[in-house]
Amino acid sequence: MNSLERVLAALQNRPADRPAFLLNAGLYGSRLTGASLKDHYTDPAVYAEGQMAIRETFSPDLLVSPFALAGLGAAFGSRMSTPHRQPPNVAAFAAPSAEAALQLPLPDVDSHPQILYLRESIRILAKTYAGQAPVIGLLASPVDLPPLIIGLEAWLDALLFQPDTARALLHRLSPFFVDLGKAMLSDGATALALTANLANRFMVPAPVVEGLGLPSLAQALGEIPGPVILHHGGCPLLAHLADFMGLPNTVGYVVDAGEELAAARALLGPGPLLLGNLGGPTLAGLRPEEVSALCDQALAQRTTDPQFILATSGADIPLDTPPACLQAITDAVCRAGGARS
Amino acid sequence: MDRDFSQELLDAIQRADRAGANAVIDAWAAGHSFPRVVPDLLSPTLETFGRLWAHGTQGASLAVGYVAAKIAEDVLSRLLLEAAAGGGPPQPAKGPVLMGNVEDDFHPLGRKMVAAFLRADGWEVHDLGVDISPAQFLDKAEETGARVIGASAMMYSTAKNVARLREEIDRRGMTGRIQLAVGGAVFKLRPELVEAFGGDGTAASAVEASALFERLWQRACTAAGEPRP
Repeated sequence: MNSLERVLAALQNRPADRPAFLLNAGLYGSRLTGASLKDHYTDPAVYAEGQMAIRETFSPDLLVSPFALAGLGAAFGSRMSTPHRQPPNVAAFAAPSAEAALQLPLPDVDSHPQILYLRESIRILAKTYAGQAPVIGLLASPVDLPPLIIGLEAWLDALLFQPDTARALLHRLSPFFVDLGKAMLSDGATALALTANLANRFMVPAPVVEGLGLPSLAQALGEIPGPVILHHGGCPLLAHLADFMGLPNTVGYVVDAGEELAAARALLGPGPLLLGNLGGPTLAGLRPEEVSALCDQALAQRTTDPQFILATSGADIPLDTPPACLQAITDAVCRAGGARS
Repeated sequence: MDRDFSQELLDAIQRADRAGANAVIDAWAAGHSFPRVVPDLLSPTLETFGRLWAHGTQGASLAVGYVAAKIAEDVLSRLLLEAAAGGGPPQPAKGPVLMGNVEDDFHPLGRKMVAAFLRADGWEVHDLGVDISPAQFLDKAEETGARVIGASAMMYSTAKNVARLREEIDRRGMTGRIQLAVGGAVFKLRPELVEAFGGDGTAASAVEASALFERLWQRACTAAGEPRP
């Protein structure tokens, strides 16, 4: 089986030769290629070389587009930080409030340089691995776009104190999200993975979740002509998983590091993919044998679950993570495959 | 029957109802001197809220903590206005202390919430903003005489820069005399990192930061051989 066949088998709830696995190693690719982070996060060919190096070195089944959501904010006029040891962040916002953001023009997904960087990265990877490995396009859902454009504080102000303005901004941003999602899929992304933190009860109260967040998310996802994977985005997901079940086109869920996989599957039932639950950002602080033990534990829990994909959760795997820690993940899924045969 | 203003305020905070909270405060102030609102109503209510929030009581979202900080800011603004009308703003009773996000960290919300709660509790807070280098923190501490630095980091990758701040404190010979309070999502998830990166303490929630700063201030004064002012 190749990686694409393995992931398709998981989607179809069929057995595979071994569990599929995903590394959120967009950043880590620059360590393998030696590229500067500036080049890595501006030149799609350089980024793609990083993912190819990740694939050659550790053999993950799924590859990822740049986890550089700040670029989406930059497309609206936000200023990005210079990346030193991590992907770029938003350093200054395009507008001071939701009301002001309503006046911003929507970026053209076919011409804006920040968007083209993301899209071209997908095109290169999809062409390189056509028929071999899925490529996942990473983006932010409409509810998570405003923090990149006006900041989290201004977005909370709108969601909590100016719901009509918040609703208007979600309506304004939704077409951009849909256009970008469609474009990523047409570029060759096998699926989209996105966060919806501002529709999570960990972040906002029930009236915001139920009145603004989830309806907006459902409407936008309904217009995406392809599979979507919902990522926990740094928030606990398990306790709120029921909110996100049944969203249009949603085929999988990435739970946070350490969240109980069996409990997540019990809630989800058969059908959706379940991804997780290794803490990607904390791998650097572990010894390879500790990583190995965590993998074995997760895989042992899901032995009879063809729809489980071992994945690093959270943000990017840090640059100072020893390669042996990532190799331990590869070795663990291979061992699990060996046990199946 | 007497109204339980503290419970009403707590309920409003937990509903993320800023207007409702301010209405409770207004109703309380109708029968009391407004400057007493902090010690008699706001602080004890926030203390209770902080305990509930830190324990992840159902419904206690991040936004609810944000609204609590906004309510504290609202009260503080009114106090400043009243004081200005009476001849000048009140002098903060505690501090000065510094707040900032460590280098490469651009997630200001938690820091701003802590600063709001500290100010509401009488601290003089110098908020340096995001992406603050160790040298910037220490230069400002030396300039202002701050004995506690509150350093915020959201993610593991940026939390490592707390260790660089620790090194700078030690390099300048300020060990003990400047205490390092750390906070942010990563420290809540992995409390062992507080010590690993050289922090002197952390708080379970933004609301509880003031008590932490009190303890650290005392320690700093003891290390410097000075009685607390």
